[in-house]
Amino acid sequence: MRVIFTDPDGLVHCVEGKDGESAMACAKRNLIPGIIGECGGAMACATCHAFVEEPWPGRLPPPAQQEREMLEGCIDVRPNSRLTCQILLKAELDGIALSVPDSQV
Amino acid sequence: MPSTEMLMAEVDFAHDDVPDLHQRLEELRRHGPVVPVRYHGERVWLILDHAPLKQVFEDYDHFDPARGYSLIAEPSQGRTIQTMSGEEHRISRGLVTPPFLPMRVRGLIEEIMEPIANELLDRIEGRDEVDLVTAFTRPYPFLIITRLLGIPMDDEEKLLGWALKLIDFPWDPEGSVKAKRDFDAYMQRILDARRREPTGDFISMLVQAEYEGERLSDERVLSFLGLLFPAGSDTSYKNAGSLFACVLADPALRQRALRSDKDRELIVTEALRWQPPTALLPRMASADIELGGVRIRAGDWTLFGITAANADPKVYPDPRRFDPDRDNRDILTFGRSKHFCLGMHLARRELETALRIVLERFPDMRIKPGAEVEFVGAVLRGPRELIVQPHGEHAERRQCA
Repeated sequence: MRVIFTDPDGLVHCVEGKDGESAMACAKRNLIPGIIGECGGAMACATCHAFVEEPWPGRLPPPAQQEREMLEGCIDVRPNSRLTCQILLKAELDGIALSVPDSQV
Repeated sequence: MPSTEMLMAEVDFAHDDVPDLHQRLEELRRHGPVVPVRYHGERVWLILDHAPLKQVFEDYDHFDPARGYSLIAEPSQGRTIQTMSGEEHRISRGLVTPPFLPMRVRGLIEEIMEPIANELLDRIEGRDEVDLVTAFTRPYPFLIITRLLGIPMDDEEKLLGWALKLIDFPWDPEGSVKAKRDFDAYMQRILDARRREPTGDFISMLVQAEYEGERLSDERVLSFLGLLFPAGSDTSYKNAGSLFACVLADPALRQRALRSDKDRELIVTEALRWQPPTALLPRMASADIELGGVRIRAGDWTLFGITAANADPKVYPDPRRFDPDRDNRDILTFGRSKHFCLGMHLARRELETALRIVLERFPDMRIKPGAEVEFVGAVLRGPRELIVQPHGEHAERRQCA
């Protein structure tokens, strides 16, 4: 399945996502600039923040309280912000588009 | 299968300075990714390579962090997120997380970090020579914590005394427990004041925190506050020393450090890889596991070789070369998974801010020519001292090695 990342410089990266991996792991595997994910996906570091482009936010399960609270503390948080370690890729999300904030810190 | 005899048995990694730690780790790595070494007189398993270390950091079935910490930290520090696991850990960590998130920490740069850096550097002005560790890198993160907690300047000495004693339990149980009692009594007054009249500061956030219907008792707040010193002061000061040891030795690095926030972020990250303050992290196995050809049993102590994994040549070519442009997204300095360092953003912003302010105010600062920089410690590691000339000129090019 395809995942489309727009990096902080505006460059668009179309990459292959693996079924069951998180969008964060997909980004790291594909060396997408600006997604760090330092804790490895445990919702413990707030460095994998990205914006989910329309129409995808409504097609994802809503964030749990822990994710919402972490997002509140992220830089430049917006209504379509998510922690990419919590977005699990699957066939129905083929073509999902995410853009990376200027900074995680 | 390697023998269970200790390798390099003349070294006790708990007590010895081991200035040549990195050479020794490379020698040990030739024997395998997991090797037996001496620690507090006993054999422990030292995990050296990046792949197995990353694996065990994320494996709470076999390496639940709480297992070991509840034995070595709880007696003097009480129950904290370091010593908890499972649901209790998840909720407790959720309660204390908000003040440590990026947005909040960014606000602390101007509010706390810059003023403290400047106060300390005011005392260095005009001096020919100074030990940067004593004068700056040691007090800087400590004062950030005391200011964060709203402790008046007149009481900083008292706090330092207690902070040093809090982690001294294995050597002085009575003194350590007394220090905790005195610390708790002192901090209780501040807690009470914030409960009566919250100010939005760090302690106000903790006493008002609510997460999934739970709140923090005074006892839990006090234990957490006590944890901040070993977790957030001892560590940052060691890496600040290592950071300046590298940057001040190389004019090109010094110039780059003044260029932009991004450059400082890269330089600080590479310093965190190159000389992590928690070089070797003691952890206890919580279930039997075969790792790197070695059979580790539940209850065995291991050393998570963070500094060895950060120098694994399979992941970081020419690992002892200081290179801020490496792909450093997988350094293990702050751990992994649910016990990932809560203070990571605070640590990074402290280090980046210190770098900027020191170099802006003292663009000619250099290590005193001929002064030796010796890194010591195998558990917590940093330079023993860093003799600098704040106004030195004509910095010489030296290899950071």
